[in-house]
Amino acid sequence: MKFDRRLFFNFDWTLLLLVLAISFIGLLNIYSTGYSLDNYRQETLYIKQAQWIIIGLILMGIVICIDYRFISQFAYVFYAISIILLLVVSLYGYTTHGSQRWIVIGGFFFQPSELVKLTIIIALAKYFDDHMIERSYKLRELFVPFFIVLIPVLLILKQPDLGTALMLLLIVLSIIFFIGIKWRSLFMAIACGGMLIPISWLLLKDYQKERIMTFLDPESDPLGSGYHIIQSIIAVGSGGIFGKGYLKGTQTQLKFLPVQQTDFVFSVFAEEWGFLGGAILMIMFVVLILWCLKIALHSRDLSGMLISFGVTMLIFWEVFINIGMVLGMLPVVGIPLPFLSYGGSSMVVLMIATGLLLNVSMRRFILHP
Amino acid sequence: MEEMNGQLNGHEPGEFRKRFKIVFAVVSIMLFLLIMRMWHLQVVRGDELRQRSENNSVRLRKIKPLRGLVLDTNRQVLVDNQPSFDIMFVPNRAKNINDVGYKLKNLLAARDLELSTDIPPLEKRRWFPPVKLEKNISMEKLAIVEAHASDLPGVTVEVVPTRKYVGGEMTAHIIGYTGEIGPEELKKDAYGSFSVGDIVGKDGLEKYLDQYLKGKSGAEQVEVNVLGKEVKVIGKIEPVSGYNVVLSVDSFLQKIAWDALKDKAGSVVVMDPRDGAILALVSSPSFDPNLFNGGISFEAWDNLSNNPSHPMGNRAISGQYPPGSTYKLIVAAAALEEGLITPDTSFNCNGAFELGNRAYKCWQKHGHGRVNLHRAIVESCDVYFYNVGKLVGVDKLAEYARGFGLGQLTGIDLPREKSGLIPTKEWKQSRFGEAWQMGETISISIGQGFDLVTPIQLVNAYSALANGGTIYKPRIVKRIEMADGRVLKAFEPEQKSRIPISKKNIDILSYAFWGVVNEKGGTGYMLKRKEEDVCGKTGTAQVVGLPDEDKARKRKILSAKFRDHALFVCFAPYKNPEIAIAVIAENAGHGGSAAAPVARKIIDAYFERKNSENKKSQPLVAVNQKSQAGVYR
Repeated sequence: MKFDRRLFFNFDWTLLLLVLAISFIGLLNIYSTGYSLDNYRQETLYIKQAQWIIIGLILMGIVICIDYRFISQFAYVFYAISIILLLVVSLYGYTTHGSQRWIVIGGFFFQPSELVKLTIIIALAKYFDDHMIERSYKLRELFVPFFIVLIPVLLILKQPDLGTALMLLLIVLSIIFFIGIKWRSLFMAIACGGMLIPISWLLLKDYQKERIMTFLDPESDPLGSGYHIIQSIIAVGSGGIFGKGYLKGTQTQLKFLPVQQTDFVFSVFAEEWGFLGGAILMIMFVVLILWCLKIALHSRDLSGMLISFGVTMLIFWEVFINIGMVLGMLPVVGIPLPFLSYGGSSMVVLMIATGLLLNVSMRRFILHP
Repeated sequence: MEEMNGQLNGHEPGEFRKRFKIVFAVVSIMLFLLIMRMWHLQVVRGDELRQRSENNSVRLRKIKPLRGLVLDTNRQVLVDNQPSFDIMFVPNRAKNINDVGYKLKNLLAARDLELSTDIPPLEKRRWFPPVKLEKNISMEKLAIVEAHASDLPGVTVEVVPTRKYVGGEMTAHIIGYTGEIGPEELKKDAYGSFSVGDIVGKDGLEKYLDQYLKGKSGAEQVEVNVLGKEVKVIGKIEPVSGYNVVLSVDSFLQKIAWDALKDKAGSVVVMDPRDGAILALVSSPSFDPNLFNGGISFEAWDNLSNNPSHPMGNRAISGQYPPGSTYKLIVAAAALEEGLITPDTSFNCNGAFELGNRAYKCWQKHGHGRVNLHRAIVESCDVYFYNVGKLVGVDKLAEYARGFGLGQLTGIDLPREKSGLIPTKEWKQSRFGEAWQMGETISISIGQGFDLVTPIQLVNAYSALANGGTIYKPRIVKRIEMADGRVLKAFEPEQKSRIPISKKNIDILSYAFWGVVNEKGGTGYMLKRKEEDVCGKTGTAQVVGLPDEDKARKRKILSAKFRDHALFVCFAPYKNPEIAIAVIAENAGHGGSAAAPVARKIIDAYFERKNSENKKSQPLVAVNQKSQAGVYR
């Protein structure tokens, strides 16, 4: 591929810097979670996270170099690979805390369900790009996308991982809304979904039912996720306006907060940096998400628009659900906070996703060969 | 270009633009909602929640599980659990620890009591772990603290289960002890199954079977008020008690063995030669494992760990001694099996054996005259075995010693076993870079010199002779049971190997050991019983092997440290043996006079109990429903 100088001039430095800045805040924050004296086990977690960021950046660089239209041609291949990985997980996956989510490759733990979030976006973008129609979609025209989504959702529910399955549905619903659906169809879909709720309640594992019950009534399970919510609210609230100071969060350092490196990482941040720090971080996320939407808006073709819109929605929903959960507004579902939660799979996938956004953004003026 | 524009235009770009506006608006509003919520929590409710975080009003507390019980072969309890009431202080709940400490001391002083620990000085830190002021307090102190609870903010009484070692010193080396997990152990804990403050086994079976005994922690969420007192328990996950362990040890024999040995330093191991089950295992001096409950005091630890007589070491499996004349079993077996001697081969003993310009003396300085193999064993003639050992040679001796399981780990189910030492020419060359000397072969022929064995190896070797040639893996744990009595894991007898001796030679040797006890002039004659025939072998191991000191030893001016170790190994009855005993009494003198009486007491007790069906062993603590379930909940 011949190098086009416009690629360099159109490179979206703002987006890259914003992502790097948020990741760096995440790194500082993970260092704090591992800081307290008796917590010898997590003390090197931030080093691992830094390694994941670097690996993610390398992959991001590779993704930037390849035209997203070229990537899009292989959308179904990537989708198939990620489904195969999910199958491998369900057969040979590594189980912790009662759910089978990880593949162990050479000592690395990899979570294919994180990857699926990305491949499903690319696959749907490809599908809608290929089957463009000039009016809003009817329900029966969404039959294929429905199956594209259903397969990974079922496999992930089986793990079981309620949060990620929910995440996929939200991403897909966002894309379908965006691409346009007849209002009547939308209502019918919602009605069907509503009918599915009692059925899915039967399929849910006990702990998942408990979590939903707990959200409705935190006092019903004070030892489990109710405890998480109560302690998280105390942590965030006790931060006050200015916070308790870096490395000085008592809720964090006293280990009142569970899974504080992963799902509850924001309460650590909010406790130590207060409303001021939390609001600045939130504004960084708002800017990031709106900036990404702008990339989608200005993309040159439908494929690029849908990819960047899907990725934006992925980041948005994760941010909203995770922070909503930490602030006690939403039930406790295992969804990481983008760029802040500890976890290699999530970090690497988000870096690749950022790569796709940069990719779409810098090629917005470049025409098809 | 056209194609692409066609795509977008075909779908009415205005439509997308409109939807983008909707998405922009919805996303902004939702994220703004989050910021509103943060404002609500951190600014509006900030003070209230900060207060809650400082009071730790909701606390998740770990509930330690009860460790499993340890029972003897007759299901008598050797290790139970008991509650320990500890005074705890949670510093960040009260403003001034010194005030509270002063009050507490005054309250106790009014009743002539005092706090065993000093109040730790208040450090300038944001938070503290709770401080244990005194462990295992008396009921009187408990009453005072409870009665004045409102005057003592931050002071709480915590009830924790601790171990009750019913056997105390008697079973200390079998059971071991427990303690809080150390930082090193935590680092090794790859699976994250432990956390700070967990109680783990540190030695003995407590360590060896820790994964079975430890149980599973529960948790409890408690609401506490500003004074740190519990207001209510909000939720609770019950802990799971550890598995119970049933040993092959017989408390009755264990007690007899301990009482017989406890004034001396040394060890007694009693084994069932038919399957390798340990019936009693004693090491002296001992220690009280109850001292470790809830953390041992510095002085007590110092006393134990720096004691020159090493009360913490388990001499039965890690004490390495020269076998002395008990080693003649190996020398005789090797010589017979290799065809170097017959039972009728005889040598003349005039009190010494000359090699080069050095004389190796017999313990009987006037000599035994001409003796054959049988009489040489019965009277423990050293000169006979100097001659035989010289015929066999060091490497063949080592081969047979290993065949009897000496110089290697027996694999007993206790930690920290030592292997002893059986020398070979090659070993000496690599260890010292020197060639093996013939004189050293003479020394090891009577179990002196480099030879080192442990009591458990000794009893195992003689058990193999007694049972017709099978070396069993010694085993002290019979089974592991679940709380409802179902067997989780049963440990069956395990045959390790056979001794390399023919049946004919086993019979010849067994008869000779019968003679040691039952024939006139036998060194173990004092064990002769009317009913059952005992077979045995005495041994006297020189601590200082220099012949020049013989005179001094006779004059008894040697300090106790350099006096000989007394050994005795025996099994009974002669036909179909069912008990084997090894006794080592350190610095106690001759095997026949110092170690044999210990064995005699055990043999007598064993057969008296067996013969009188009515007489039952005195239970230490009867197992009943209460102790099965733990003393308290």
